[in-house]
Amino acid sequence: MLKRLKSWDGLGLRLFLLMWAALALSHLAAWSLVLQAMHGPSAARPGPPPLHAEGGFGPGAPSHDGFDSAGPPPMRTSAAGPSGGGGPGAAMPRHMPTFPSLPPSLPLTSSLIDYGVRLVVIALAAWWGSRWLAGPVRRLVSAARELTPALAQGRPAPTLSEDDGTREVREAASVFNRMAAELSGQFEERGLMIAAISHDLRTPLTRMRLRLETGEVEAKVRERCIEDLREMNRLVESVIEVFRPAEVAEPQRVDLSALAQSAVDDLAETGANVSFAGPPAVVRADPVALRRVVDNLVGNALRYAGNARVRVELSAGVTRLVVEDDGPGIPEAELERVRQPFRRVEGSRNRDTGGTGLGLYIAQQLVRRQGAALVLSNRSEGGLRAEVVF
Amino acid sequence: MHCLVVDDDAEIRTSLTTYLQGFGWQVSAAADGQVMRQLLAQARPDVIVLDLMLPGEDGLALLRWLGTQADAPPVLMLTARGDTMSRVVGLELGADDYLAKPFEPRELVARLQALVRRSNKGASVQDDTRLLRFGRWRFDRLTRQLISPDEVGVALSSAEFRLLAAFVQRPGRVLSRDQLIELTRAPGVEVNDRSIDLAVSRLRAKLGDTAREPSVIRTVRGEGYLFDAEVAPC
Repeated sequence: MLKRLKSWDGLGLRLFLLMWAALALSHLAAWSLVLQAMHGPSAARPGPPPLHAEGGFGPGAPSHDGFDSAGPPPMRTSAAGPSGGGGPGAAMPRHMPTFPSLPPSLPLTSSLIDYGVRLVVIALAAWWGSRWLAGPVRRLVSAARELTPALAQGRPAPTLSEDDGTREVREAASVFNRMAAELSGQFEERGLMIAAISHDLRTPLTRMRLRLETGEVEAKVRERCIEDLREMNRLVESVIEVFRPAEVAEPQRVDLSALAQSAVDDLAETGANVSFAGPPAVVRADPVALRRVVDNLVGNALRYAGNARVRVELSAGVTRLVVEDDGPGIPEAELERVRQPFRRVEGSRNRDTGGTGLGLYIAQQLVRRQGAALVLSNRSEGGLRAEVVF
Repeated sequence: MHCLVVDDDAEIRTSLTTYLQGFGWQVSAAADGQVMRQLLAQARPDVIVLDLMLPGEDGLALLRWLGTQADAPPVLMLTARGDTMSRVVGLELGADDYLAKPFEPRELVARLQALVRRSNKGASVQDDTRLLRFGRWRFDRLTRQLISPDEVGVALSSAEFRLLAAFVQRPGRVLSRDQLIELTRAPGVEVNDRSIDLAVSRLRAKLGDTAREPSVIRTVRGEGYLFDAEVAPC
């Protein structure tokens, strides 16, 4: 029974009923108020006030044919008939409006009350009706917006309630939910597959690496093969990193400067051209993820520019980790693109740089998970500036 | 030196055996836990290379079993991933060191030698306690960070970590630079007087110690450094 009723609950029916009710209510309210204003509550009843045949309140006023079905109860007599130019009019008071004549004018105050009351009632009805339309659309928009990051970060896809709202809304919700579930299923499957392939590549990579040590291989060939193996391994690591379900770590209070200093010191120990400067600064973050972000950004700078300067800046309640280099920077048009997976600056996909095209993407994902933002820009002096803004 | 390799991949077993034999080591190899137990019953190796992913009983289960054995040799775990989580998991479960596949063969040898050297020298290779307390600070040896008196994580670089790890095991003793170089040696990096001094000054800065009046890491003129704090597990 409830289900049958629900199947009738369409937007069309709702709007129709709302308009009808609004019109009836506005007539009734306007009539009784004008009546009071003109004659006072105790005055003798002079008959219903005139109706404005043309409401002029937008498309919601269905009064084109003069037969105003939503008129106040006293009007609901045959007197208001569409043909009412003759007989019935004689029986009524003289100022009774008759189609197609315009209503006789009311005193100004009554007119204003009349219009005002209708305006308020119909505005309220329009506001209510728009909620039926706008609410579900807003929910749909926010769910759709949430869908992409949820898929990218391996969180469950957002769902919409399939029990609330009109038939159309419920249908849209159910279609959206199905789509989101299918997408996230496929996404997960693809991710698992890629991660599994990458994972299984480690065994043959290990085998090859050992074979290069034990087999009879010319030194030069061996060196090149080892370089290739390293590159393959970097790719494997990054892919696993991207597709592995996010480890949820409790954020803790971390000294950002100590962390950046440690990362820089570790790289300097291997002979890299890196430096650090900055005051102590405490942020809330997962230290493991944060360390990976610093490593990725500095590694990126070292790869493309050969040097990196790391700074921590504190200003007006905002903590910034800045990584700068003196390299070629990134063409303005590609600044957004390089944050996407497997995207690199055009022409840089060569063996010398050896990047996987995932470094910045991973850094961005991790930064977002910390509730911070990654900002990339070119320095006016040349070189790239990557900022993590907390 | 005797090394036991446990890996389910036949070719990795054979080439690793060949490679390690090239260093004059005696190598035995096992494909799974059962063979490993048989080999262990025959002779005690100096060190075990254990793969994490094994069919049947996996590396972690074998690691736990080894932990229950008296006089178990030190274990180097081969894991699939090189990140901190693997290190935390591996070390927490009692591996003495770990290396991610695919590894540099030279690095494996260096790590194994270091493990054996440490286990020959003194009792346990890895002290079980993860968290140590000194003064108002805590030292987390797995995540390699200090936790300040007001609960802020202060990350340590590898050099600082090695230095502090050496200090907390020998509190109240003067350690010369040469001793510290020996204690903080790590594969792939050059440790010298200068790097020790740098790591000391960085550690002091992180501990809020000033060089003029250091209260935790004291300079003993002409002799070296002294870690002047009581260290306790927590």
